[in-house]
Amino acid sequence: MTSRIPAGMRYYIGAEARLRRTVEDVAMSVFEGWNYEEVITPSVDYYDLFEQGMGRTEAQRGFRFTDNDGRLLALRPDVTSSVARMAATLLSERPRPLRFCYAAPVFRQQTQSHAEWRRENTQLGCELIGVGGTAADLEVLRLAAEILSRLNLQSRCCITINNVEVFNGVAAHLNLTTDAREQLRRLIDTRAAAELQQFLQTFNDDEAVAFSQPTQLTGNVLEAARRAITNARSMAALDSLEELWTGIESLGLESSFEIDLGDVSSLDYYTGLSLKIFVHGAGSSVGRGGRYDGLTGSFGRSEPAVGFVLNLDALTEVLGRSGKQD
Amino acid sequence: MITIAIGKGRMQESALALLAQAGIDVSDDAVNSRRLALIDETGQYRFIFVKPADVPVYVEHGIADCGIVGRDVLLESEADLLLPLDLGISRCRIVLAAADADAMTKVQGMIRVATKYSQIARAHFGSRGIPVEIIQLSGSVELAPALGLADMIVDLVETGVTLRENGLTVVEEIAVSTGRLVVNRASYQLKTEEVGRLIKTLEAVV
Repeated sequence: MTSRIPAGMRYYIGAEARLRRTVEDVAMSVFEGWNYEEVITPSVDYYDLFEQGMGRTEAQRGFRFTDNDGRLLALRPDVTSSVARMAATLLSERPRPLRFCYAAPVFRQQTQSHAEWRRENTQLGCELIGVGGTAADLEVLRLAAEILSRLNLQSRCCITINNVEVFNGVAAHLNLTTDAREQLRRLIDTRAAAELQQFLQTFNDDEAVAFSQPTQLTGNVLEAARRAITNARSMAALDSLEELWTGIESLGLESSFEIDLGDVSSLDYYTGLSLKIFVHGAGSSVGRGGRYDGLTGSFGRSEPAVGFVLNLDALTEVLGRSGKQD
Repeated sequence: MITIAIGKGRMQESALALLAQAGIDVSDDAVNSRRLALIDETGQYRFIFVKPADVPVYVEHGIADCGIVGRDVLLESEADLLLPLDLGISRCRIVLAAADADAMTKVQGMIRVATKYSQIARAHFGSRGIPVEIIQLSGSVELAPALGLADMIVDLVETGVTLRENGLTVVEEIAVSTGRLVVNRASYQLKTEEVGRLIKTLEAVV
């Protein structure tokens, strides 16, 4: 017998386990209130599924092993891939929209330096499949805000929203090579303002200026972006962001949200809206999501889809610590 | 109040000088007191002084909102941080050095490289497809070639005096390193105003 526990794994005991369950119950009851059906997906699945669903880099962080017949399996590194496959195959005949929610552990290898040390995380998530447009985007944003508010985190959180097509439109307009596009993405993602300006100067193009001040967060970012951007693709994305923001304002939720055109961390995955959830007391985001209209197509039935996940373990840690301080 | 982690030693002095220039003063008495956490005279900033290699760790975990640290440390740590501002302080070079400037073509067999910066060394040779043996040391790297431990070194060079004294010459410059302002991703979103103010204040004196 060994007394050691593998890196990134842990126990939850007593009060902490109870708190964790309470948080899970809050999220699931909010989902249920919005008519999201619970789904339990297989813990083990073919590795191919996740590579198709998450892209190779992310899927490779999964714990992999072989089946009896030699095929590669993985302990699920996400739930969305499996739900998307289910929607496209098993439930292809069901009337749309489909609404699903889950509370399920996912398993991912972590790089050693990363502040996120856990290799087992429970995701509280939802997927809205079969409807596009602002109304669907707004629905999942409301869900996220409602869960945070039920956890009394509304004054301590910030949900950033972006539309990845703003970046994609500019990258296409500048006719960037794959390498240059990745370099531009990285400079925006890390907010390296001076390097970004240098990079953009080589293009001598007004559109490029839209991103030249990625550190500028306050003020009306949409208006500033509109002054610089002329390509149709980015314009449409800015329009839909604006529409979404109007919806957020009409619900009186604007204090929990922020538009961040510099959130370009998962461009290959999301196709429209992307969101990240931050909470005071957690050093990295505690949730993320967005629109992934390209995903179900890879399982044979292309349709719009949007969703998000909250990290139960990170949330429990924040709530547990702030509870002790009170 | 936001917390700023600063690498002790070389970086500390130039960072505090730059901050003072920007109007963010820490009294000399406080600095000399050897306390590891200080608050500036306006009460807006708390400074913590940690080992340079630990700055990215504190900032990535959000214990410090911001940090001031050399690019050499960042390249080595691969931490996921925002890099809004190059402060231009503590400029130095990360170089590949050997006894002979033509060492790359002269070494027989597998090249052995001694360094404190194994990530940087591995990435440098890896991007060219040159297989090397990396020997991780924690100090006095310049000694390694003379003693026969390695053919070359990858190290930080300020003036080049230490290299010359040990009979080494620069084969190639890998990167220039200067002090950078780094910011935690969550702090950037949650303390937008304070972080923004710090960036603007420092931008004005860089």
